[in-house]
Amino acid sequence: MPLLEIENLSVRRGEREVVQQVTLTVNASERVALVGPNAAGKSTLLSAIVGLLKPSQGAISLAGRPLAGLGNREIARRIAFVVALQEGAPRISVHESTALGRYPHTGPFQDLSATDHEAVKRAIAETCLQELEERSLGELSAGERQRALVARALAQEPGLLLLDEPSAHLDIGHGLDLFALLETIAVRGVAIIAVIHDLVAAARWATRMLVMDHGRIVDDGPPERVMKGEPLGRAFGVSITEARATGGMGSTWRFERRASG
Amino acid sequence: MTAGRVSGLLGVGLLASLLLALCLGAVRYTPGEVALEALRLAGLASASTLDEAHRVILGEIRLPRVLLAALVGGALAVTGALLQVVFQNPMADASLLGVGSGAALGAVIAVKLGWSFDIFLALPAAAFVGALGAALIVYMVAEGTRSASLTSLILTGLAVSAFLSGLTSIILIASEEFRVRAVFFWIAGGLEGRGFTHLGLAATLIVPSCIVAVLLRRPLDLLLLGETEARALGLNVPRMRLLLLALAALLSGATTSVAGSIPFVGLMAPHAMRSLVGPRASRLLPASFLAGAILVVLADLFARAFSDKYDLPLGAITSLSGAPYLLHILRRTERG
Repeated sequence: MPLLEIENLSVRRGEREVVQQVTLTVNASERVALVGPNAAGKSTLLSAIVGLLKPSQGAISLAGRPLAGLGNREIARRIAFVVALQEGAPRISVHESTALGRYPHTGPFQDLSATDHEAVKRAIAETCLQELEERSLGELSAGERQRALVARALAQEPGLLLLDEPSAHLDIGHGLDLFALLETIAVRGVAIIAVIHDLVAAARWATRMLVMDHGRIVDDGPPERVMKGEPLGRAFGVSITEARATGGMGSTWRFERRASG
Repeated sequence: MTAGRVSGLLGVGLLASLLLALCLGAVRYTPGEVALEALRLAGLASASTLDEAHRVILGEIRLPRVLLAALVGGALAVTGALLQVVFQNPMADASLLGVGSGAALGAVIAVKLGWSFDIFLALPAAAFVGALGAALIVYMVAEGTRSASLTSLILTGLAVSAFLSGLTSIILIASEEFRVRAVFFWIAGGLEGRGFTHLGLAATLIVPSCIVAVLLRRPLDLLLLGETEARALGLNVPRMRLLLLALAALLSGATTSVAGSIPFVGLMAPHAMRSLVGPRASRLLPASFLAGAILVVLADLFARAFSDKYDLPLGAITSLSGAPYLLHILRRTERG
């Protein structure tokens, strides 16, 4: 049974139908890069999957159970959502922030049990944040803060991890570290859907690429095929050609703006 | 400085403030006399160095007033801390958001209609309804404009506050003089003539509310992350905000019903404590309660020790210190 099933999903924001008739399934361990131009509906789709936005039509199921029938905390035990990095952070430590990831398991009044503390410790270790554990989120670099957000998501122990532009503010080195971390997480069986703007990074990291344009999924498949496909170039208004691979480093890509009209 | 040490220092500071407030006033006592009387009241000593009149002044007039000042100050600070989370703004306060004006209007209506003389608990109930109504109006306007900026929040609170104060004035003009005098007391804020009955009434509402606030520390911490992240972690944010708003209104109504309007304590205490112990509710709420208690105990001491003939309005004293504090923060925010 697929981990996530989306059937004919549409989501409205005000008068505008931002996501239109999306149908897709995602299985455990899949690394899905969700790409598309600005305002294509990518973040809205993620918000709908995690239950933050109600669909105007269609249905979402998690391991066979309809999302609409699950409570807020039940959803948060199954899906973790790492939002795009914002400016400013609360003055709480990395450990405190990660421990908040256990809220779906403890609820409003229960304190953390030994199992919860173990999960927090594991999440911090997996994201290599042990040395920064007591540091305030506001004192971290963008890369460290992104890892702290992933640590909180891992503390939720989700089956599905959603990330909105996780590498947006990261330099190349920290970006590669983050994608390596996400790869390790997927190996454990967690399915990952990440909105990624950098197409080359997306193609290198993902096992599957979804292309969104004007609220619809216009292409879906392995990166090597999607990158060469017409829908991706059309969505961004660019021509994409595969350039000569050098020294066995895999494909490189050349992007050129298409003439308008 | 660790949060534990800050709380310890605040605890010592509160005890010292309480002792000072019990010693000083129109009739003065030595710390030894106060300590011995406290032991006698607790049943741990039988002897007393004080005559009957001095015992009554200390034990039945000054003691409940000083304890009430601490309770009210603590409650105001917790109210401010809760509102700051609900509005996701470190400067939200009952007085700035019109909640105090709403509570005052409720109290005035109860006095005007004679409920406060006829029905038990009518005054705090009316103050609570007024506080909750004002909080809901500001919350809905802020939600409606989708603007969380400090300026728009303060302006919204100012508009609601001005509107409610206008209504209060109209009711006052149409009231008999003895009712106006009773009402002025609530608008100016003060603890003159407050005794154990008022202390009991306030404690009945404030102590459980503060306990519930501390019990909600985990959802409060979650709200620090912002609405989207809190919701993604499974928190029903709109329901929790309404619950916190109701709790803040209950506390505001309780303080207004016994002490009238005492502005700025809810702004100053949590704001100062946040920089010392951080924003987490488990540390911020107790530290704010203690800081607010110290602030109001000392302000009330100044209010009654300033003159032998009359008490200064307590609300005026907190305004005189709170308004410059607000301006200082605003200037720092504009620069930062």
